[in-house]
Amino acid sequence: MAAFDAEARRETRLDAPVEDRLDTRYAAETPEGIALTLRPAGAVPRLFAYSIDFCIRIAIYGTVALVLAQLGRFGSGIALIVLFALEWLYPVAFELGPWGATPGKRALGLAVLMDSGLPVTPAASFTRNLLRAADFLPALYAFGLGSMLVRADFKRLGDLAAGTLVVHVGQAVAAYAVLPPAVARAPALQLGMRAQAAIVAWAGRVPRLTPERADELAAIALPTVAPRAAGGDRVAALLGVAHWLLGRR
Amino acid sequence: MTPLQFEARHTAGWQELEAALGPPARDRKWPWQRRKASAGAPASTTPTPADNARIAALYRAACEHLAVAQSRAYPVWMIARLESLTARAHRRIYRQAELGLGALGRLFLIDFPSSVRAHRLHVLAAALVFALPLLAIGIASYLDPGFILTLHDSDAVEAYDAMYASDAAGPLGRRSAATDWGMFGTYILNNVGIAFQCFAGGVFFGIGSLFFVAYNGALIGSVAGYLAWRGHGENFFSFVVTHGAFELTGIVLAGAAGLVLGQALLAPGRHGRIAALELAAKRAVVVVYGMTAMFVVAAALEAFWSSARWVPPAVKYGVGAACWLGVICYFVFQGRPRRSVEVAR
Repeated sequence: MAAFDAEARRETRLDAPVEDRLDTRYAAETPEGIALTLRPAGAVPRLFAYSIDFCIRIAIYGTVALVLAQLGRFGSGIALIVLFALEWLYPVAFELGPWGATPGKRALGLAVLMDSGLPVTPAASFTRNLLRAADFLPALYAFGLGSMLVRADFKRLGDLAAGTLVVHVGQAVAAYAVLPPAVARAPALQLGMRAQAAIVAWAGRVPRLTPERADELAAIALPTVAPRAAGGDRVAALLGVAHWLLGRR
Repeated sequence: MTPLQFEARHTAGWQELEAALGPPARDRKWPWQRRKASAGAPASTTPTPADNARIAALYRAACEHLAVAQSRAYPVWMIARLESLTARAHRRIYRQAELGLGALGRLFLIDFPSSVRAHRLHVLAAALVFALPLLAIGIASYLDPGFILTLHDSDAVEAYDAMYASDAAGPLGRRSAATDWGMFGTYILNNVGIAFQCFAGGVFFGIGSLFFVAYNGALIGSVAGYLAWRGHGENFFSFVVTHGAFELTGIVLAGAAGLVLGQALLAPGRHGRIAALELAAKRAVVVVYGMTAMFVVAAALEAFWSSARWVPPAVKYGVGAACWLGVICYFVFQGRPRRSVEVAR
């Protein structure tokens, strides 16, 4: 089943509207028929996450080796086992924990999921981390990087075999919920749904835009939406339309 | 209906679902943090079946609301809220059962040996790719002792010589328990790493696995052939016979698991290549689990038993033969369905 899903997803990708093909969003369909939108993480944040993890591993190994050095050959044997665990099991242990991510990934707001949107399974985590040995070849994760660069979902070879996805977690748009206050005003004509959504989305972004840019964007919409207000405060007028569209009338 | 009316009508259900799901993943706690946090707060209640049924109902409702909100192009924050809500509930409802000790027992009693049997052709291919270079290079090194220098540099060869000489302080020499532990760590780090490489190489259409397996076969063969020519044969073979039962089969199984991946990419059958690779990796990883355990056993034997000088070679050969027999019987007989079950069907 999973295989058919994967193929179906790839086909829909080509038929998708342009904005979906340009965007790196990844849709995982649930049994309820809705599409969970995941945001795959590209090579650069993953490189940073890897660097953080690398430093943590070196710090752990350094500390452990320093302590165990007091114990002679016995200690060095244990230190080598610790090194082995840090190399192969460290990512698996953290990915299966409640974070679903190594400390480095968590610091960058990344997490590892199955490409169905579910938490990563033990088998998948093990697979993707063992295949680091293949991603690393011929040197410095070259194959893994190549795979990430050619794929829209940024999977490295281990992710391909395990069916996992490294995604950005956390909400980027929660801040857009608060519209700046304005007097509600009805639009001069019936607006289509996409136009309504565009105006409301613009209103949500106003606090983060410079006043000039907000005005510039409002000037595009106002002549059709509210031609009588085109002369005055265009931002306030269009914000009023946004409030009206949301239902404050 | 305006977006605000829609939100006002359904927000109670969304909030109830949000509360039932607990804090989002970013704020979730590790078990030891949870214990500390719950010391002051009221004890966290485990979800009852009724809770779960309620969550499922709320989740289905939220899915419907998300679909409506998307089709009516409602504001982006509302869609984002519903998306994150449904994603979290989806993860909660469809998560897989946790790995328990029962699953671990099942792995070694049934899944691992039967998975090896299911891939017997891959195992056979990997065994040939491993054994043929081992024998060929071994015989070549025995007949022409200079041949080993094509694979190892002269310092390494001298080290092997010193290690297996009868009066040496090498793995067969007198050594302390602490040194045994040191060697145990070395074997774990190096050998398991090599085995993981043999598996991972399979993702390059199987070529990587073939290369690493054949290369390791050639390395082992050259050392064996050379030491036999030097007259250290008994020291060497009595050293390797016991842990070899686990280590050599382990390398072959790692290579076989890699070949499973390679075959999926070369001959994906009715799936796309990537989908076939995913399915093959799910099967192969069972072999890799078992193979890893075999390498840990091998490393322990190699460090603590094979190197014990006080054990006469005859005993080591006997124990080694028993281990080989045990490993082979394990893969041939363990985990088959009971005969009565087969008859009953």
